[in-house]
Amino acid sequence: MRVRELEIGRAARHRLGWRTSGRTDMTMQITRSAPQILMQEMGLNDAAIEQRKKLVGFEPGDLARIATLRDLITQHAESHVAAFFSHLSGVEEARPLLASRAILDRARQLKRQHLLAMVGGDYGSRYVEERLEIGLLYAKAGLEARVFLGAFHALLKQVGVTVMKQSEGQPVEGFENFMSLKKIAFFDIALIVDILVFERERLIRQQQEAIRELSTPVLQIRERLLLLPIIGIIDTYRARMVTDSLLHAIRANRAKVVVMDVTGVVTIDSKVANHLLQTVTAAGLMGAVVIVTGLSSDVAQSLVALGIELSKLNTIGDLQGGVEEAERILGYRVTRSDAGAAPASGAV
Amino acid sequence: MPVPILKQGEVLIASIQGALSDQDLVRVRDDVADQIGRFRSRGVIIDVTALDVLDSFATRTLRTIAYTARLRGAQAIVVGIQPDVALSMVQLGLSLDGVTTALDLEEGLAELDRLMKSGVSRVR
Amino acid sequence: MAIERDLDIVTARQTGRELAATCGFSRTDQTIIALAISEIARNIIAYATRGYMMLGRVYEPGRRGIIIIARDDGPGIADLELAMRDGYSTGHSLGVGLPGTRRVMDEFEIVSATGAGTTVTMKKWLR
Repeated sequence: MRVRELEIGRAARHRLGWRTSGRTDMTMQITRSAPQILMQEMGLNDAAIEQRKKLVGFEPGDLARIATLRDLITQHAESHVAAFFSHLSGVEEARPLLASRAILDRARQLKRQHLLAMVGGDYGSRYVEERLEIGLLYAKAGLEARVFLGAFHALLKQVGVTVMKQSEGQPVEGFENFMSLKKIAFFDIALIVDILVFERERLIRQQQEAIRELSTPVLQIRERLLLLPIIGIIDTYRARMVTDSLLHAIRANRAKVVVMDVTGVVTIDSKVANHLLQTVTAAGLMGAVVIVTGLSSDVAQSLVALGIELSKLNTIGDLQGGVEEAERILGYRVTRSDAGAAPASGAV
Repeated sequence: MPVPILKQGEVLIASIQGALSDQDLVRVRDDVADQIGRFRSRGVIIDVTALDVLDSFATRTLRTIAYTARLRGAQAIVVGIQPDVALSMVQLGLSLDGVTTALDLEEGLAELDRLMKSGVSRVR
Repeated sequence: MAIERDLDIVTARQTGRELAATCGFSRTDQTIIALAISEIARNIIAYATRGYMMLGRVYEPGRRGIIIIARDDGPGIADLELAMRDGYSTGHSLGVGLPGTRRVMDEFEIVSATGAGTTVTMKKWLR
């Protein structure tokens, strides 16, 4: 009677519960927009929004003053938007934003919407979401904060001129109305700048991630056999990267044996030693055997001094020997523990 | 939620889907023990591919299942521990010493095949 | 959120993972955070029968992270020093919970006294 009555193929594995890698809330992400996600990441809940309004000194009285400007601003929206973009066109660094027709059109559209919303009177999470959308557009176009500020200033100046012209009879009132509007403008500026910074940080993190991935290569040298050369002085951070890469590689390559070569390691401290030990254990949990090669006597002594039980590690002198041992394990598939009993064939 | 246990000849396969509460895990433990006896299975595969976390209770329960299986003459193999899960377990100090593990179902079945053919109930 | 039944452990874990994800933690760190929450929540139920946990985001100049506060009004841990030592177990066989959790979190603080309950505060920063 054979053990395997069914051929378990990849499809069956999927049905048996192979996890959809990545997001457990995948469906949520499909229905939530980028600005909404960003809003959550930046912690812009209602309380945070109120706090920001407080920071610019926004009060109920301002609402009324802004309302008086509504029709005026709406009428002149086009010229104000134009001021923003014509300023940008004179700036070399704004080129990426202006270069693409699609992006430029979208930016204009959003800017116009922004202006109208600015005198709209409702500055809640919906408003913030719209600001985030613009912010993301700018971030994607690589717009620098200082460039944005210059252009926005140009726009505000234009708005100011419009307001003052209209209130020739009552300059003080006109000024006060404009100042109220300015509070919202600063509220907006703060948001945009924060977004640009946030996205910049995210980009940097991603780049660092990529660099680290490049510096911790896991090589597949045979089917199901991985080679992990550890070069140079390892710090805790790199060690963790190494482990992460290795474990994911084990899964991706369905590796059964990993040869971890530490020939290039000169010094090793207890934290890193523990990390390596953890790597070996974790690989074991995934059904892979780790053979450590290239352990110099210095490093071996350090490990012993640190209390690491070398017996727990599968160590072999040099790389060549390690690879051979690995191939032996893979090739012959002998059960390690029993005394060379030849695998019985046929019926069980 | 109850965990489905499939029978394939002499092997039982328990596939854990999604997040399990402590009670669910205890159920699995008891069900497996029960079915090994009932079907005189010689192998048990516990597939934890879908689990995104293995905490101390889960780890302990897995060890218990493995030991119980051995007591009843069956070999247990835990398969499907994900990279993140393995790493977090090891960092927290949780261990599955004494439990045989394999990468996935396919590997687990192959391993059981080997073990049962060589007739040794292997202790790690 | 209240931690009373073992189902709450699962909820706490999943909520923690989602929060960690929104914060921007890597998958591996999300798992670690979920695990830490699970262990602490388990401790609450085992030793104190009931308590509560708060999960949140924490901001400091230059860095962002996640903060977890777990509080229970249980009997408290008499010998904190002993409990935090690796391998200690009171026979509820939950030995690994505390020291292990401390290892993986960036900041870990525990305040406990006999009869006065226990509060655990832990943080993990985004690298």
